[in-house]
Amino acid sequence: MEQLSRIGVALLRGRLWVILSITLLCGSLLVPGFFSLRTLAFSLDRASTIGIVAVGMTAVLIAGQIDLSSGSLVALCGIVTIGLQPMIGPWLALFLAILTGGLIGLLNGTLTIVFGIDSMIATLATMLGISSVAFLVTGSLPVSGTDPLFGVLLTGDLVGMFTTRAAIFLLLVVLLQIWLTRLPSGRNLFAVGSDIVAARDSGIAATRVLMGTFIFIGLCAGLSGALFSLQVNTGSPVFGVTVLLSSITAVVMGGTTLEGGKGSALGTLGGVITVTALTTASEYASVPAYIQGIIIGTILIVLIVLDRTIGRSLRSATDRGALIQASPEEPIPREKENRNE
Amino acid sequence: MKLAARLGTKRKLGFSIGVPATVLLLLMVGSVSSPHFLTVSNLLNVLTSISIVGIVAVGMAFVTMSGGWADLSVPAVIATGAIILLGTQPTLGTLGAMVVALAACALAGAINGIVIGYIRANPIIVTLGSNIIVLGIAQAFVGGRIVYNSDPLANQLVKGKNLGVPFIVIVFLVLALIAHFILARTVWGRWTIATGGNYAAAAASGVPVRFVRGIAFVLTSVLAGVSGCLLALSLQSVRPVIGTGYDFSSFAALVVGGVSLLGGSGSIPRVLGGLLIVQLMSNIMVLHGFPTTAQGLAEGLVIVFAVALDIKLRKRSGGL
Repeated sequence: MEQLSRIGVALLRGRLWVILSITLLCGSLLVPGFFSLRTLAFSLDRASTIGIVAVGMTAVLIAGQIDLSSGSLVALCGIVTIGLQPMIGPWLALFLAILTGGLIGLLNGTLTIVFGIDSMIATLATMLGISSVAFLVTGSLPVSGTDPLFGVLLTGDLVGMFTTRAAIFLLLVVLLQIWLTRLPSGRNLFAVGSDIVAARDSGIAATRVLMGTFIFIGLCAGLSGALFSLQVNTGSPVFGVTVLLSSITAVVMGGTTLEGGKGSALGTLGGVITVTALTTASEYASVPAYIQGIIIGTILIVLIVLDRTIGRSLRSATDRGALIQASPEEPIPREKENRNE
Repeated sequence: MKLAARLGTKRKLGFSIGVPATVLLLLMVGSVSSPHFLTVSNLLNVLTSISIVGIVAVGMAFVTMSGGWADLSVPAVIATGAIILLGTQPTLGTLGAMVVALAACALAGAINGIVIGYIRANPIIVTLGSNIIVLGIAQAFVGGRIVYNSDPLANQLVKGKNLGVPFIVIVFLVLALIAHFILARTVWGRWTIATGGNYAAAAASGVPVRFVRGIAFVLTSVLAGVSGCLLALSLQSVRPVIGTGYDFSSFAALVVGGVSLLGGSGSIPRVLGGLLIVQLMSNIMVLHGFPTTAQGLAEGLVIVFAVALDIKLRKRSGGL
């Protein structure tokens, strides 16, 4: 029994490699030329949309929060990027799109920190609102841009190998890795995520750290949406949940847990590559989108279940202590739970 | 004990005055601002849409009150119920098809219930994931197409009225009454509230907390299946997106009515109040020519406002 659980833990730690190798194996069997340079470069380019969101999601999950609005935000910022082009020009529109992302991040942070609404519920509400705004401003139809050449600049090939947005994604991963491992504020993120009361007591400005991560993921979602819509020269209100679920799956696959205090940037990179390889392989094998949904959803739930059963001690995600954010004046102690109920 | 009493009064006062006042205000705004609002056909429309959402919301009330927050797999389960009903109707007959459809929905709910109740994973993420899985399976079942089928007799029954009351409204009221009885008068109701109110204490005093929370998800799925069946029988054609939005509408109704997201507080009359507010609001918006997509924005605002108010009232009454 002991040995079995030890094998389980080992498998869980190495889950990224397990899933990635299965995916690559299936991919190479099903898709001829799966390992060709062209397919790989294409995958990396595709990866950047969910990848840039996943970079922000990693920071938010490490801080013990979540942002469910980021998927709809990708759609809204894409619409801003394309829809405003005729009025104010492509550069200003791009800037405004990223700014929109940052402002929504600020809103999410305010709802969570100032109003004390759990980020799970606050961002669920903003997800609904943002998606509704995206449908409203476009009248439920995709908008196309006026300047298709502008997109080429940002999404074309950089060194003949990967595109600018893939390079931006990789750069963000490296920066996140440096931030999380080398800088004090990155380490504070882990402290806040694992125990916010203790972090506060030891002098960390937890409020500022949390607000920072919400704005960060907002900016990431804005950038991701802008780059995606520029590449296809279209802003569309219909996605959101798919981007959201894929990026959460990628981050969780990379070893970041939903409970906070644990995670890494390189793990997320691996997770993003795996999810994209999965999507690319199934598209080449012409698997319908709803079957891909089944695969992604199943992987996500199985990983969460494994994380909770083998990975760590059981602590419910919805206990009161976890639901209400401790207010700055009176820290509310988390309720410890009876483990052998 | 004192604290609990004080806490209860503040909150109860806030919502039991606020909810009826808002409903009255909406009725006034509606009748003043639109000549079509106070007509029998419009009000019957509001009642019917309340009923379809309400059947889901009654189940979701158990989820929220037992501390499981919300079940976001509702759209997929509604679609599953509807698709399976119409898909198997020719071979099994309407009643048989309904039994199969509801059994499939219960199965989906059981998976949610095990993962959330027993393994205690995060309900929002799990149900977001199971939503995409269940919807995928339902679409694969029919090959991603629209399903048509009709049973004139069942269609007439579902669209018909008894003494002027639409059949769907009667179904909803009966289900709501049963749920109210369970919540207010039985052990199961007390267990549900105890599980959401203080999980550790409830577990220590012998409440089967995991089972209670798990069953809440099964119940929600079965009721979502009932909604799906009613929709399918009255529309006679089903697309996989048929359930879109029902998760948020019912969730918004719950929190607006005063079913606390923090668990352990709420009742079916409050759910009714919340349903009235949300559906009247969207009806008034539709009458004024807002596109239906604006509804999501309104619901999002309402959720934020209600939850913030709930937390503020609790904190002001002296902590948790």
